Amino acid sequence: MQPRLSVSGVSKSFGANTVLHSVSLTVMPGQVHGLLGENGAGKSTLLNILCGVLSRNSGEVLIDGVAVSIASPRDATAAGIAMIHQELQQVPELSVAQNIYLGAALRRVGGLLVDRAAQEAEARRILAPLDASIDVTAPVRTLRVAQRQIVEIAKALRANARIIAMDEPTSSLTPAEFERLVVVIEKLTAQGVSVIYVSHKMDEVFRLCSAATILRDGRLVGQVPLPQTPVRQVIELMVGRELVHVAHNSFATDRVVVQVKGLTRGRAVQDASFTLHAGEVLGIAGLVGSGRTELLRLIAGVDRADSGIVTVNGVDVPGTSPRARIKAGFGLVPEERKRDGIVRHRPITSNVGLPAMASFSRGGLIRKAHLKARSEDLMRQVNLRPLDVTRAIGSFSGGNQQKAIIGRWLAAGTQIFLFDEPTRGIDVGAKAEIYDLIERLAAEGRAVIVVSSELPEVIRVSDRVLVMQEGRISATLNAGDISEANIARAAIPNRQSGQPT
Amino acid sequence: MNALLSNIRFRDAGTLLGLILISVVFAFQSDTFLTTPNLMNILQQSAINACIALGMTLVIISGGIDLSVGPVAALSAVLGAAMLVAGVPVPLAIAGALAVGVACGFVNGALITWGGLQPFIVTLGGLSLYRALALIYTGGTPIFGLPDGFRALTNGTVMGVPNPVIVVGVLAIVAWVILNKTPLGEYFMAVGGNPEAARIAGVPVTLTKLSAYMISGLMAAVAAMILIGRLGAAEPTLGTLWELDAIAAAAIGGASLMGGRGSIPGTLIGCIILGTLRNGLTLMNVQAFYQLLATGIIIIVAMLIDKVTSGKEG
Repeated sequence: MQPRLSVSGVSKSFGANTVLHSVSLTVMPGQVHGLLGENGAGKSTLLNILCGVLSRNSGEVLIDGVAVSIASPRDATAAGIAMIHQELQQVPELSVAQNIYLGAALRRVGGLLVDRAAQEAEARRILAPLDASIDVTAPVRTLRVAQRQIVEIAKALRANARIIAMDEPTSSLTPAEFERLVVVIEKLTAQGVSVIYVSHKMDEVFRLCSAATILRDGRLVGQVPLPQTPVRQVIELMVGRELVHVAHNSFATDRVVVQVKGLTRGRAVQDASFTLHAGEVLGIAGLVGSGRTELLRLIAGVDRADSGIVTVNGVDVPGTSPRARIKAGFGLVPEERKRDGIVRHRPITSNVGLPAMASFSRGGLIRKAHLKARSEDLMRQVNLRPLDVTRAIGSFSGGNQQKAIIGRWLAAGTQIFLFDEPTRGIDVGAKAEIYDLIERLAAEGRAVIVVSSELPEVIRVSDRVLVMQEGRISATLNAGDISEANIARAAIPNRQSGQPT
Repeated sequence: MNALLSNIRFRDAGTLLGLILISVVFAFQSDTFLTTPNLMNILQQSAINACIALGMTLVIISGGIDLSVGPVAALSAVLGAAMLVAGVPVPLAIAGALAVGVACGFVNGALITWGGLQPFIVTLGGLSLYRALALIYTGGTPIFGLPDGFRALTNGTVMGVPNPVIVVGVLAIVAWVILNKTPLGEYFMAVGGNPEAARIAGVPVTLTKLSAYMISGLMAAVAAMILIGRLGAAEPTLGTLWELDAIAAAAIGGASLMGGRGSIPGTLIGCIILGTLRNGLTLMNVQAFYQLLATGIIIIVAMLIDKVTSGKEG
């Protein structure tokens, strides 16, 4: 049988940095094909090339045996490739039908008017086998994430997609919703549509996929048949080494630094209470939407709590602005670096000095030489590469930007580090460096909170783990009890959770 | 050395090159263009726009826009003139007029920060509001009879350099120091470059924005004082379209209307480019309509050059 999609020898580099080295991928008609690899392995780059968001430097893409050139997202759609992004790309205010026909509206009166009735009828027809409960006239913002995902799949079918790529489709889904997605995917493949399935969750991959392509550091490291290949072998191909348990060093003391009591904001965070000790790394795990990030933002003063208090060294922290919380010793290393972390055009020095400008000034003027020397010193400590503090921070890689943000809080004398997804979008090498930095912060007696959706990460860095479920802390796991199974048990609703705290 | 600094310098050098090119063309076309009195004339004519544009540059860098500068100047002018005519001592009257400008800027800033409204809309409202206040206060008629002691301030010279040029020069240095040497300057760039990241990093975003609009109001009032000193009268309709000249000068000088970027020397050169263009075309007896055309072309060409060359930055 001829492959539906055959990618061969695709390379991509940004400047001197090659992110894909002659990668190949073969997907059969009606196949669910896993695309696996760690963050930074090149999965997103490959998908972006297939969707026309990035252009390839070399290589060939064949669809049903015919070479296609994909220079723009429009070309990709025309070639029959659709992508369901992790962050769904929809216009929330428009109706389901309008979103399905976005950019390809059905027209009447010689193309002058949009034919809403026809769009709605067609949308209903496409959606019927997928999820008949979705109202095609409702604005997309009123839908649950799982339904919005179905709408996105319907949009792909409307465009006659023969290949649908799904990037971490279940990251926001409950187990019940995942089961529904499985049914939808089975219907798609029954129609001959091929699915490229990107996920970190091995159980899903092994259940859905009949083969998987594994990337590591931008190279193809294997194509394996599933489910007959052992999980362990797949993971070892992904990480490139035998799985060894990384020793976790604990520096936790008994001295309580932070006490959080009854912190609440709407339904997102309800009555969260816990303590944090000097030298301790406290992990916070939970599904997307469980309130992890929201809790961290309340502590950092980024969002305002409805009720509850935060004390540092026994003293209530006054005010809820980030500025007040920084003064009390907190520092947030946000998940969305571009949006919440860096000022792109400004040099490392300005980004590092931002919270502590007053301390770098004398007589109202910034001591530029002092700021530069201090920044250089800190950036050497966190191993910024290249070590040039006058360069705009936006020109550094994600991992190095993250190091600069950590340096920012070191400069500000921060005692309590709040990390939100500390290694999101960071390559494997820098990831280990970030873990080492977190450990060093704890070793120096600072208190650290790490919110993460990656269980191996939580397990690796944490001395203690809080698990959140639907806005509440559902379990506290101490050193001996920290395991993927225990975290998952406490994170997933509709089951008996661990003992509440 | 400093990659970013050299980048800005690179941009300023480009603006300067533009000014030199325009000047060379005019020098060949007109004998009087390169004479000292004419060059002083250009500086004097550019001073008011430069004054407004300095404040505008800080506002733009902080991610905003101030469309109300002309009417703010008019309101400061008529209230200041009324005080002067009523016999209030000159320093006190000037201080009063400047306070009016700062107050208008505060109102703009308060509506934008605490009110959560968009800068464009707030200052568009201010554009009508402050003009209306000036017109209502004066009944639409100019205030004449400004004391000579006040007029002497703006009409005097120091070593051949007109006082307004000196005042604006000093203000430009102050603005440059604020932008490049003080925490407030870093805050302007950070808030304009990425307001949410700045807030999370502990930048006092509200105070930073308020400062920008208050400085802009202050500069509008200074420009008003210079103008009424020169004219000897305060018209409630003065300052019409000043905001557009100031925005044009800042943009030619490299300020990004998206916020986060801009340069004081660049803005000054931008003002002089606009002033030179008008002066030179007038010397060449080119119709005013064509002067407008040339101004428009210069702005767009400057932006196109920016677009083409900015690809090199990280």
